[in-house]
Amino acid sequence: MRHLKILEYALSSLWRRKYKNMAIILVYAFTIAVLASILFLTHALKTEASFLLAEAPELVVQRVSAGRHELIPLEYGDRIRKIPGVAEVHPRFWGYYYDALVEANYTLLEANADHTPLEMLDGHLPAAPGECAIGSGVAAVRKIGPGDDLILVDSTNMGIVFEVTGVFRSPSDLLTNDLVILDRADLIEFFGTPPDLATDISVRVNNPKEINTIAEKIKRQMPDSRPISRSEILRTYAAVFNWRSGMMLSVFAAALVAFCILAWDKATGISAEEKREIGILKAVGWETSDILELKFWEGMAVSLTSLLLGLLAAYVHVFFLGATVLTPVIKGWSVLFPTFRLIPFIDPYQILVIGFLTVPPYVASTVIPSWKAAITDPETAMRG
Amino acid sequence: MPLRILLSAMLALIFCATPALAETPPGPGPKDRCAVCGMFVAPYPNWVAVIQFEDGTNAYFDGPKDMFIYYFDFEKFRPASKIADISNIYVTEYYTTRLMKAEEVFFVTGSDILGPMGNELVPVQGLEQAKTFLRDHDGKKIMQFDGKNLTERPADR
Repeated sequence: MRHLKILEYALSSLWRRKYKNMAIILVYAFTIAVLASILFLTHALKTEASFLLAEAPELVVQRVSAGRHELIPLEYGDRIRKIPGVAEVHPRFWGYYYDALVEANYTLLEANADHTPLEMLDGHLPAAPGECAIGSGVAAVRKIGPGDDLILVDSTNMGIVFEVTGVFRSPSDLLTNDLVILDRADLIEFFGTPPDLATDISVRVNNPKEINTIAEKIKRQMPDSRPISRSEILRTYAAVFNWRSGMMLSVFAAALVAFCILAWDKATGISAEEKREIGILKAVGWETSDILELKFWEGMAVSLTSLLLGLLAAYVHVFFLGATVLTPVIKGWSVLFPTFRLIPFIDPYQILVIGFLTVPPYVASTVIPSWKAAITDPETAMRG
Repeated sequence: MPLRILLSAMLALIFCATPALAETPPGPGPKDRCAVCGMFVAPYPNWVAVIQFEDGTNAYFDGPKDMFIYYFDFEKFRPASKIADISNIYVTEYYTTRLMKAEEVFFVTGSDILGPMGNELVPVQGLEQAKTFLRDHDGKKIMQFDGKNLTERPADR
């Protein structure tokens, strides 16, 4: 009951100085929103990537020529198939296409490759030459749907008409949003891929313990090949996103420092009026511990409100507004990508980290100076 | 003529169906423990070994090594039964990660591939693949199980 009364008093004293406290809360919440936005965004991107790669083949074999990715002979696939432990080998055909009309990059992929499960929103995957299925992002930027035509310009600068037979969406938007799926023969013709060559080869391995051995054997038997394992792709994604978010954080470290100075100044610089208040409270019989409790509640109320507001703002910013402010930096190369919505993945650990980094320092910086004021003689305190 | 086609089709069907008739035991449940070391078996699907008994029960192991420990010290682990009550022994083949009869695979010892309980007798189907495994993973010996004993294959490598 006593604690509740002190809490009530703390809230009403916060309300008495509402403009000062609102200013603190605003700046505080903004800093937390920035920090949380970066953490949420990187975490969501990383989770999306791992989501996406969960279904990816254990190994992807590329051919490298002069240090660059080259088309790989289909005959390599037959040699890989003979290695013990290899379950399936599929040559894959895909490529990028820049659509000058809407200034976006698409990924063109053959139908029936063992890609991630695609959820059809409407229609079906291409079954015959001249048909295509498109990701929801492509459908949105080109404003087309099933039954419409998609015109793409091929390697000989000819406009090719594909009939859209379906629009799909997969659990993760990240890499399927910009997909255009074509019939294999169409795709080979469209890119002008020479016969007996594929873009790369996907290899399925039954036993995860054998992946590295198989990768070594592929590298030994075909020295111009580059086997990439799924865990390597995941690690690369994680490293890229971590590096980018680290860069962002260091840029915003300045903002954080500025906030700390403000918080310190606002919270520690106890005004004469506050000192007087503490003196009066002591004179009417408040214990030092009551005053500390009062200040503790005040600090908690301010910092928890800001934390909540900041997290809420970050959530809205990242998952509803698509992290408009941060995406150019975090996503980098994919600026030309049709826009996509992130799936809200939140790591409770990150919320705890943000909470611990902001709440206890603030509470401490409000409690300590008032403790100093509270242990001075009430009379001196009241006289100022 | 149609009769012959029908007959050969039926024959083909029977031949195709036979391997499916020898039913592999169901995979271990989340509560199944290794009958020798007591570890849960389900987290290590690529190592599971199973002894099937005539009465329909199964004993699960988290690797062929524990399975052989059990088999060769049968009276200690299952005093109520006899060796003759065993109907089938399955191990998980390394390259395919499928359950196969222990008599149909070779066991490679001393390799750098460790199971949940450390060094393992890694089951590999086919002599050619067993030799490949031995070479790739620094194996020591290729063993064979004939339904009674585990013996080393005569050195012919």
